[in-house]
Amino acid sequence: MGLREYIGDIVEAVVTTAKGMRITARYGVDAGEEVTQQYPEERREPDERFRGFLHNDIARCTSCTMCVKVCPVDCISLEAVRGADKKMVLVSYDINIGRCMYCGLCVEVCPPKSLGHTVGYEKAMFERGEMVLQFVHEDAAEIKARVAKQVAEAAAKAAEAAKAEAAKTAAPGTAPAESEKKE
Amino acid sequence: MEALALKLMNAVPALAGVPLWVMTLLVMVVVAVILLVFALTFGGVGSYVLRKVAGDIQARIGPNRVGPYGILQFLADGVKLIMKEDIIPAKADRFLFILAPYLVFVGAFAAFVVIPFGVGLIASDLNIGVYYVMAVTSLVVIGILMAGWASNNKWALLGGMRAAAQIVSYEIPVGMALMPAVLIAGSLSMQDIVRSQGGLLGLFGWNVFHNPFTFFSFFLYFTAAQAESNQTPFDLPEAESELVSGYNVEYSGIRFAFFFLSEFADMFIVAALAAACFLGGWHVPFLRAEALPGIWGNLLSLGVFLAKALGIVLLMMWVRWTLPRLRVDQLMRMSWKYMVPLTFVNLLGVSLWLLLFRGKGIPQLIASVF
Repeated sequence: MGLREYIGDIVEAVVTTAKGMRITARYGVDAGEEVTQQYPEERREPDERFRGFLHNDIARCTSCTMCVKVCPVDCISLEAVRGADKKMVLVSYDINIGRCMYCGLCVEVCPPKSLGHTVGYEKAMFERGEMVLQFVHEDAAEIKARVAKQVAEAAAKAAEAAKAEAAKTAAPGTAPAESEKKE
Repeated sequence: MEALALKLMNAVPALAGVPLWVMTLLVMVVVAVILLVFALTFGGVGSYVLRKVAGDIQARIGPNRVGPYGILQFLADGVKLIMKEDIIPAKADRFLFILAPYLVFVGAFAAFVVIPFGVGLIASDLNIGVYYVMAVTSLVVIGILMAGWASNNKWALLGGMRAAAQIVSYEIPVGMALMPAVLIAGSLSMQDIVRSQGGLLGLFGWNVFHNPFTFFSFFLYFTAAQAESNQTPFDLPEAESELVSGYNVEYSGIRFAFFFLSEFADMFIVAALAAACFLGGWHVPFLRAEALPGIWGNLLSLGVFLAKALGIVLLMMWVRWTLPRLRVDQLMRMSWKYMVPLTFVNLLGVSLWLLLFRGKGIPQLIASVF
């Protein structure tokens, strides 16, 4: 290293330091607009496709369990029973947001589009149990009992109908046959 | 100290019966406590100012929640550190781990003894003042290396080794950059060095304006001191982004608070030395502080000295938030290839100047013309 370079290095160090300090001084005296957002009071406007907490609109949910199957971290748990009209009835639908990693796969896969993201993201809670969001508020046992009752009623009705049918077929040429003729 | 004790005993009749050595010890303890309180306050307020300055420079706000403008933030931090669980890693060297923070703090705090706060305000005017500061602040290295080793953590050890290499390297330029002040005063005592800068309106007697070499000397000292007190362009021992936080990774609670405080104490020591050796120490511009009646002279000179020292601290913070961190090899190259030769050349220049102009500086030469 020659003397010229040596002195050049020193000069460069001094000049660049001075330049940098001038810039920081300008900001230090008057930074213009502060970039800090004072969080609890000021909040950022969420983006259009912001992926916050999950929300399931249970009125539209078909209990297809696609979301449960696709979830990489197994944070969704679902229980459903078959109702009287052959459709599934949700008994419980829980999302553990403590585990959720907001990948959005469940939302993409949901056939009736009942599952979606909200803009919520604050999950400071006192207990871990609070992080499990429950979307079916009724008691699971009650729903099961009700559905079982409905199913039983429907089955009884069907049985009665079947019995009537059987009676009909057993005694042909009576009233029902006449009515059929009328039609 | 003994003189002060004697004075007190003569002034207050109730103390006449107390033996002199007890009184002296008492005075020493009181002075030490005052200095300790000063160091702690500086550490607290300094951390607040540091964060505010950083906020301003980076267009942020900085602490603003605790108290008006966040001024009580340091109290909250202090309370937090005191109440935190004190963790000692299972495989740490317990004895050294516990000892290290105190050693570091003692190293930084002991230097306060020779800081000339005012005309008569100095804990002890040692006749080897400058040498004492250089020697005692080197104790910090041992503490840091000890902390790094005792933590039994690779980052801590690396940080400790870096700190040792860095502080030992920069000790030389710091010492050599302070030499011009010693040469001009002809003494190593801090008070003598400050007194030698009086006269000439209390402003042009400063060593910075003495001659071109002392002017450069000040900046060389400032740079080297920044490195010696491990501040940002040279904060390799801490280096959050590469070493997590260096030698103090494993420390928490009150022990971490000691490292933190000693860092700030170090910062003040370095700034106070610069003020005393180059910026006229406690000399009040346009006024003769020594000539004023005792108490006013002391108070005024204390204020001026603190203003100078804290101004330099502010300058250090400014540099700190401007420059990015150096690499290890760049740091070493800067010390051995640039700082050391330059400070030696400077020392030679000052010596020649003193020889040629019979110890007179440029302002004195100009003044002697009229």
